[in-house]
Amino acid sequence: MILLPRGNPVKENINPGKVNLADALGKMRQGKFTGYMRFDFPEGTGIFIYQEGRLISALYENDREHLIAYDAIARTFHEALTGAGNLNIYRLSTELAYSIHTLLHGEMLHKGQDLQLIDIKSLLVRMREEKRSGCLRIYSKEHIALIFYRDGNPLGFFHDGSTDIETTANSSLSVAKEPGAKVDVLVTRGAGEKSLADLMETADVAGLWGNAVAERRRQREEREGAASKTLEMRESDRREKTLTLFQQVAQVHLGKIGTSLVDKEFEKLKLNGSQIDESVLNGFYDNLSKGAKLVAGPSKIDKMLEEMKRGFKGLS
Amino acid sequence: MEMFQVVLAVFWLIAGVVSFYFSIGNARVWTSIAVGFFLILLGEIIPGALPFLPGLSNPYVLAMGHIIGTLSILIMSHGFQEYYVFTRTLEFEGSKLHVYLAVIGVIGASLVFLMINPTPDKEVLRVIRIVENTNWVFLSLINIDLIRKIYLNIKDTPIGNGFVCFMAVFARIFLWKGSQLYIDVFSLEQIKDAYPIRYEISYWGKNLGNFFASISVGGTFLYLGKLLR
Repeated sequence: MILLPRGNPVKENINPGKVNLADALGKMRQGKFTGYMRFDFPEGTGIFIYQEGRLISALYENDREHLIAYDAIARTFHEALTGAGNLNIYRLSTELAYSIHTLLHGEMLHKGQDLQLIDIKSLLVRMREEKRSGCLRIYSKEHIALIFYRDGNPLGFFHDGSTDIETTANSSLSVAKEPGAKVDVLVTRGAGEKSLADLMETADVAGLWGNAVAERRRQREEREGAASKTLEMRESDRREKTLTLFQQVAQVHLGKIGTSLVDKEFEKLKLNGSQIDESVLNGFYDNLSKGAKLVAGPSKIDKMLEEMKRGFKGLS
Repeated sequence: MEMFQVVLAVFWLIAGVVSFYFSIGNARVWTSIAVGFFLILLGEIIPGALPFLPGLSNPYVLAMGHIIGTLSILIMSHGFQEYYVFTRTLEFEGSKLHVYLAVIGVIGASLVFLMINPTPDKEVLRVIRIVENTNWVFLSLINIDLIRKIYLNIKDTPIGNGFVCFMAVFARIFLWKGSQLYIDVFSLEQIKDAYPIRYEISYWGKNLGNFFASISVGGTFLYLGKLLR
């Protein structure tokens, strides 16, 4: 779970499975968007960070994996196509977008420290003394706040609904006071380049999307094929059981020739894997009845057909 | 003897009505067989068993009687062949109406054939009768074998035992028609004083065969009707 405060919401609760993400990413670029796209899937979380239309960062994370750049984009596309995700888009300032990027790619110094147990003051002193750049992420069950540091000095605060780094600590401190609040300490290596490469320039986003769509289609076809095979096997089994039942009933009422008549009329149905049901069997009963009239009377034939119909219902 | 002929006529009337009714009420495959047996009534018994009916001295009526008798065995044999094919292939085609129309058509054509030729005299009638009885004798034997094969194919069906009855019917018909053929071929009627025993055996064989055939045909169709209820 990637914990980030919500910025200024642009779009929320979109099903990414219903969006052409390659087009969507293109529109972000054209619109010179700054902010981030957050994809929440049952399998993990994807974050795409934009700075003035440039896709500066892509991250996909779950308990086992930490993917970045093209791998993250591809994986996010793949998960989005399952249709079981949620996409939120938040606008941020350029500065904040960059800070979030450095935060996501930084090193976790402390993780999930309970604010009741940690000596926060000495932690901050250490940040200053060691001239750390990075971020303190304070979070409760409901809210998140970030405190950014550069070279040991606090840079500002970011919390839910912010679009820029703020200088007032009110919201951040209020999160720290919430029950069960915790803190992560993330540090970045060096100041880094503020103007990062655009992943969309170097990555074939349309190609990645096309691959994901093709893979998804293949998986769906495989699933459908397997399901169809299972259904076909079940139908084949049902056909066999029905034929055996009819042969036995005809043998009792018409003897050996009854079994042959059943075989012949059943063959004429030309089921070829299709489903056997009452409507299909009506024609069978009519034809069988015509043949049976040559060796038996109507009462015996009716009795035989009744037994067949009852038996078939029992099989269904 | 006339009384015996009347009794025969009554039995054949019953057999004919039962077989014709049977041809209407059952599957198409029975039509040829039942119509064939019904034609015995028309072609054989009316002129043969009731000699006192008006117009029976007419050679055309007598000739048509023998021709219808010949058609009778041919049609029922065709019916048994169709049944045998069905028991082997389970395939069957045609309609009852076609059978009725074909029978009427063949009888009509035979009548036309008679009318456009010289009036049949006694010798011609004897030849036609011999042709008829020859057909009956040999086709009866063939039918017994054919029915035996049909029976083996369908002996475990409800109708199976009905075919045993048909074998018995054809055995009696063989006795009846065989005796008549023997009398005709050797003209035993004219030389019966020289061969009294042969003539007597043939004569009673013909009459008893005829009598029991009439009973067994009616009985067989009634039995089949019961089996096919």
